[in-house]
Amino acid sequence: MAVNATAQENYSVADTVEVPLQISFGFDITGPVLYFTDKDILNTEGYFSYDLDEKKAVYAGAGYTSYKYSQYNYSYHNKGTFFKAGINFNLLEPSISQGKYRAGIGLLYGISRFTWEVDSFRHENYWGSITSSVPQQTDWGHYIEISPGFRAEIFRNISLGWSLSLRKLLFTSAPGDYKPAHFPGYGTTGKNISFGIQYFITINFTHKKIKAIVKEKPVSTSEEGSGTSGIPGSVRTLW
Amino acid sequence: MIRNIFGPGKLSALITIGLILFCYSCTPGSCYDETEAKIKASFFMSDNSANEAPDSVTIFGINTDSLLYNKSTGIRQALLPLDPSTESCTFVIRINGINDTVTFQYNPYTHFLSKECGYTYYYDLGQPVTTGNIINRITITKNIITTQSEENIRIYY
Repeated sequence: MAVNATAQENYSVADTVEVPLQISFGFDITGPVLYFTDKDILNTEGYFSYDLDEKKAVYAGAGYTSYKYSQYNYSYHNKGTFFKAGINFNLLEPSISQGKYRAGIGLLYGISRFTWEVDSFRHENYWGSITSSVPQQTDWGHYIEISPGFRAEIFRNISLGWSLSLRKLLFTSAPGDYKPAHFPGYGTTGKNISFGIQYFITINFTHKKIKAIVKEKPVSTSEEGSGTSGIPGSVRTLW
Repeated sequence: MIRNIFGPGKLSALITIGLILFCYSCTPGSCYDETEAKIKASFFMSDNSANEAPDSVTIFGINTDSLLYNKSTGIRQALLPLDPSTESCTFVIRINGINDTVTFQYNPYTHFLSKECGYTYYYDLGQPVTTGNIINRITITKNIITTQSEENIRIYY
């Protein structure tokens, strides 16, 4: 990291840090790990990220899910693929992130294409019990996702991180009241927000280096022992 | 290096938060919601159109061997389950000792509640038919029968 300091007596110091902009390829390790404990759920997901500057990155991810679920009154399965894209914002100061650490939030739009089926469901009431099933059908699902997360470089060009996923369903092509209980990319439906968490391993390559100006620092005067304000408009303040 | 930047406390907190959230996301839920759609039938006096409970109410389905209500008092609204395996069912409704039969015709359809509660049946209700011994008329206030607690029909007696 190169640091250039510009000081003006009794005014302020503006630092620049060299920030590597990266191309990143990541894949989810949560899904495969969970698959070893529960063979009914397989979720694989990968993503590509391209840093536009020290704060923003274009994100595109895709994945495949096969999901089976059953409980006392119904059994359900689906499988399909999903794609999501958007912008990731890194909220760390460039002097802290150094291209190695990220803590931020992603704003994404997701589309899922999947087949699903209610293998059986049983309904019991005053009149007796009825068991039925609903045949397989193929549908679309659209959703938006907010994903705060954290990522740190553990080896050169290799990062580990996790992200939360808070998803809001916008639309499914499933007809009427007959909705899927779960679908790839989105997760469990039926509530206002779908929640998930994923752990990622990411491979990073630097495609460009830029200089970012960090927050101005007041220079203390020796006599008064207090800081002074910077010259207005003299530096671009990032934080 | 990571510890130098974030400090041991913050780093541990970030990892711990991640693990807690991970565990939470895998915890199966339970169903606490109403899962059966029933007709919510309110009793109204024909004289003054007031929502008043009859002195006594007995209700049972035709061809069933159990009572939904047995000389119950203070019933201002009765809950009537429908048979999803057919498109009509008939109840005997005894109000203040006088019997009427009420036949409901409907179209049942599958409705998704939630992952925890699964699927159930909702109904699109047609105009009920009554024998009219003590029941003067039945009006529909909401024809879609759901698990929500909203009135579906009014029984005037």
